[in-house]
Amino acid sequence: MQDILTYIALGLAIGFLVKKYFFKTKKKGKCDSDCGC
Amino acid sequence: MSNEKVVKVALIGNPNTGKTSIFNQLTGLKQKVGNYPGITVEKKQGICKLSHTVKAEITDLPGTYSINPTSLDETLVLDTLLDEKKSGFPDVIIVVVEIENIKRNLLLFTQIKDLKIPTILVINMIDQMKRKGINIDVKQLEEKLNTKIVLASARKNIGIEELKSTILEYKKLDVTPIGKITDRIDKEYFTRLKNAFPEFPLYKSWLLITQNNEFDFLTNEQRKLVLTFREDLGCIKRYQHKETILRYQIINDVLKESFNVDKSKASDLRGILDRVLTHKIFGYVIFALILLFIFQGIFDWATYPMDLIDTAFANLSSWVKTVLPAGTFTNLIAEGIVPGIGGVVIFIPQIAILFTFISILEETGYMSRVVFLMDKIMRKFGMSGKSVIPLISGTACAIPAIMASRNIGNWKERLITILVIPFTTCSARLPVYAILIALIIPDQSVLGILNLQGLTMMALYLLGFTAAIFSAILLNKVLKIEGKTLFVIEMPNYKIPSIKNIFYEVVEKTKAFIFGAGKIILAISIVLWFLASNGPSKFKNAEETIAAQIESTQLSKGELQKKVASYKLEHSYIGYMGKTIEPVIKPMGYDWKIGIALISSFAAREVFVGALATIYNVDNDSENTGTIKQRMSAEVNPETGEKRFNFPTGISLLLFYAFAMQCVGTLAIVKRETNSWKWPILQLVGMGILAYVSAVLAFNILS
Repeated sequence: MQDILTYIALGLAIGFLVKKYFFKTKKKGKCDSDCGC
Repeated sequence: MSNEKVVKVALIGNPNTGKTSIFNQLTGLKQKVGNYPGITVEKKQGICKLSHTVKAEITDLPGTYSINPTSLDETLVLDTLLDEKKSGFPDVIIVVVEIENIKRNLLLFTQIKDLKIPTILVINMIDQMKRKGINIDVKQLEEKLNTKIVLASARKNIGIEELKSTILEYKKLDVTPIGKITDRIDKEYFTRLKNAFPEFPLYKSWLLITQNNEFDFLTNEQRKLVLTFREDLGCIKRYQHKETILRYQIINDVLKESFNVDKSKASDLRGILDRVLTHKIFGYVIFALILLFIFQGIFDWATYPMDLIDTAFANLSSWVKTVLPAGTFTNLIAEGIVPGIGGVVIFIPQIAILFTFISILEETGYMSRVVFLMDKIMRKFGMSGKSVIPLISGTACAIPAIMASRNIGNWKERLITILVIPFTTCSARLPVYAILIALIIPDQSVLGILNLQGLTMMALYLLGFTAAIFSAILLNKVLKIEGKTLFVIEMPNYKIPSIKNIFYEVVEKTKAFIFGAGKIILAISIVLWFLASNGPSKFKNAEETIAAQIESTQLSKGELQKKVASYKLEHSYIGYMGKTIEPVIKPMGYDWKIGIALISSFAAREVFVGALATIYNVDNDSENTGTIKQRMSAEVNPETGEKRFNFPTGISLLLFYAFAMQCVGTLAIVKRETNSWKWPILQLVGMGILAYVSAVLAFNILS
């Protein structure tokens, strides 16, 4: 069970990072709320 | 709600007229309120309820001095006002002017009035009238300007209800242009223009032919006509010049009768303060002292809450391991997620203190004096006075700072500013600096009042600015782009800072740090933990290998556990990755563990601390995990037996982070703003080489 939860967390983390840096959606408006730097 | 009638309102004005404050009062939406020019770069919208059945959709347009755009954000204003078919075209315009600079502010008003769109004139900051000895005959001014005037003070919530009622009655507003300016310039020429575009107000036609923009809403036939008129460029320039002179003549005549200032009744200290704060020697000394005070504050006041947070997260990690059933997910939480989040939360006090100070400087009006003070210097380096704003904004984050450079009209000055902004110390560097300084610089006082750690932090900020300046000089010589622009700066009145605005600003910046960078740090911490806790065959057989190695030696259970954990980390996936890059980073004094943190922090600089916290936590197999600082301080270089984070390595890391372009987001925004990959690649390579060379030199000289 703990292994499954770990892999889910890992999958979510990788998915988030891939989406953030490789499929970044063009954002309109202010950047400083989520500028990623 | 869906039956409500919507009135579209555009809010326009010169920079520093309090336009954004009026917007905040009308809509209740929070927005950054600054005192230096050009802060509103993006278009902001909000809703204001006018009555039970009518609401206003208010657009806060970028601050502009006239309707003739010289920069990207000013073009936005023109685009909004010319295309009637556009969804954002206003039913009514509110032009905000400031009581003390009314003469210059009215130029924009007279231009907008000529577009025949219902317009309300808001005279802001009337609470200053008495102190400045100003008298206005509102009725006479309304008659002369063919408009409805609202006297307001956005900061004191005066006149806002009257403004709402006036918006509600916008259809009754007079749309007659002022003073028949076109007839006075050249009646025959403008009659020809009027006949060419009978469907448009005359002044709109004039703007169509005087601006170099491509207007999408024109038909092909209209476009051809525009081009025909544009052929006579000399004539257009001459008439534009005449237009400005005539507008100021009209404004002078109007104000002569309805507006007067009795200096004998004025009692403000502005003049005296301006002379001191912008003095060619004292100005710089005062600015340096203020900076010194800020960085002392960051270190002295933030220490206690930071220590508390650090200890709390260390205890939380230990508690998780004790309470939850043993297993991989428990380890992930205790060794990956909790230290990762701890690495973000710990820096909240320092970030909150820094932005409290920056907000106070903006709110009081001092920041504009700094811009003025620095203008002469900036020009020598190929930048504009307007570059100071993005450079100072860069202390928060390079991304909005690069976007703020849009109001620099000259392309060369703008490009240089964009390229050097990442050298300024952004808030993402703060956590890295803070932890490294705490590790390598002793917490001792200098001259009895100054703190050595605070001084080091200030030196790093100055180093960033210096690097930016020297890069600008170099770029100014290398880039072969011609063009010069004039620098116009508004000196706003000094004000008592609004606690509400400062509070919002600090909360917004802290939230941006936690939820923006925090999500990335958390995700990277999980990935790093996984890579550090798993590995190929050698990793899996760690216990057996170590047992075979130490057969003859007598080790305690704790020592054995530590040896196994160390062996496992070295033979984990991350261990192999780190070992691969070690030859490249070794000359800078780093081992493979620091190398991993360095690579991870390319996503966001502050990941560095969280990444090291995760790696050292996995390395330590005991239940007592310790604070981030303790873990980093305890790390030993096996080759020398000395602390890993000693003075040479620490300085090398500080220099690397001061110069390296460690931010994917910044590279993306530079690409977007320059519309080319050439410039972000140049930035990445140039800053990378500088960072590497400085770090190698520092480590080898100091070792």
